[in-house]
Amino acid sequence: MDFLLDDLDADGALREAGENAGISRATFLGGTIAGAVAAFAIAPTAEAAGNNDVAVLNFALVLEYMQSSFYTEAERSKALRGKAEDAAKRVGAVERAHVKAFQDLLGRKAIKRPMFNFRGTTEAQRPFLKTAVAFEDLAVAAYKGQAPRLRAKPVLAAAVAIHSVEARHAAWMRYLFGVQPAVNAFDDASPKAEVQRVVGATGFIVTRPRTTSRRRPRYTG
Amino acid sequence: MTRRTAASAAGLGVVAGCAVAGLGGLLLAGDDSQATPRHAVLPASPRPALTVPPPTGLGDGARVAVWTSVLRSTTARARPSGDARPVARLARRTPEGTANIVLVSGRASDARRRVWVRVRLPALPNGTSGWVPRRALGAYQTSRTHLVVDRRALTATLLRDGQPVFHADVGIGRARWPTPRGRFYVRNRLTRYRSPAYGPLAFGTSARSERLTDWPAGGFVGIHGTDQPGLLPGRVSHGCIRMRNGDIVRLSRLIKAGTPLTIR
Repeated sequence: MDFLLDDLDADGALREAGENAGISRATFLGGTIAGAVAAFAIAPTAEAAGNNDVAVLNFALVLEYMQSSFYTEAERSKALRGKAEDAAKRVGAVERAHVKAFQDLLGRKAIKRPMFNFRGTTEAQRPFLKTAVAFEDLAVAAYKGQAPRLRAKPVLAAAVAIHSVEARHAAWMRYLFGVQPAVNAFDDASPKAEVQRVVGATGFIVTRPRTTSRRRPRYTG
Repeated sequence: MTRRTAASAAGLGVVAGCAVAGLGGLLLAGDDSQATPRHAVLPASPRPALTVPPPTGLGDGARVAVWTSVLRSTTARARPSGDARPVARLARRTPEGTANIVLVSGRASDARRRVWVRVRLPALPNGTSGWVPRRALGAYQTSRTHLVVDRRALTATLLRDGQPVFHADVGIGRARWPTPRGRFYVRNRLTRYRSPAYGPLAFGTSARSERLTDWPAGGFVGIHGTDQPGLLPGRVSHGCIRMRNGDIVRLSRLIKAGTPLTIR
């Protein structure tokens, strides 16, 4: 199944991020990061309840959370320059709008935003662009994979409308990174399990640090 | 125009004419009225289920503080370089067993393109900052609140997005154990302990007493409740910031770890 990862992560940005974080190649390819699994866990539950479209939308929402958090963090880091900085601001604003739209549509059924540790990829020009290309390509492939599963046509119409925006983002980031914006005559879709595995393998989805305790204070009083 | 090209052009014209006629025939075929083309009766596209709002910028500027946790013990250095002078050692855990968090104030890359992060340190002298490798730190989180303690007015004011949302009287350190002045942050929150002197809950901060350096666990300044509310407001503590229990409970609903703290 390695080819799928390589297809989605053609430049190795996600893998590199995982390896930089101390995740071995074996672990990375195995995709055993518990946080990612937890983040996606709500979708199958909704699916089992018969709400197929809610499950698909929540799956898309996790990807939108990841993208919006990535670009927002990049903008806040103030580490980018020139066209990359401008692209991060513009694309980040769009991804945040996507998140808002999904949240409004799903209401209380919306999955909560996971916590992301992008491990420095938002804080330097080259790693940022490399990861952005991988994210956008992944999102495009994921939307394509899920669109045929949607039952309600208005939801499908919305997914297609967002899919084309993600494709523009992918081309934009590829251009900025210096790789061909459009290579294939036919783009393959990516099934959910593979997208989950790729996202999980990055180690970008993490658990929240514990900042509360029941210990007796020893402050100066 | 040569005879050959003229013939080609004429041929193309015929083909184009047939194509238009054929398209017209397709559009009109089967329509009783012969006046309405078929495309006009195709069902309308469904309205998308989502309403995507217009993209908007962050617009939060300096009012958002960024903090992170220490993932692995590391040394904070004076410059973003592994060769730079050590400033302080950062552990993964606080003395209370919670994640050790730091406030982020800058970034840089070294000659080997490794990212370094400048952080505000929970170390003496108060106000110390240092550079740590990005890989030693966890996820970035943000805080939109900022707690300001005024030592002269003996008050605490919480700002959210720059606007005051909480105000209370406080007790601070006596003259011989002054509450330190400076820019700090809330490190953790302790609850359900059995110690009436600290009230129902306590926040740990990155501020440290400059006098009580041998105090257990490092002499950190806390913000907490009290079993002696009658002493507030006043200069009554060993350096901690005391509030009435009702106030500290109210404050606890408004702030989390990572909130910047200014003591002036």
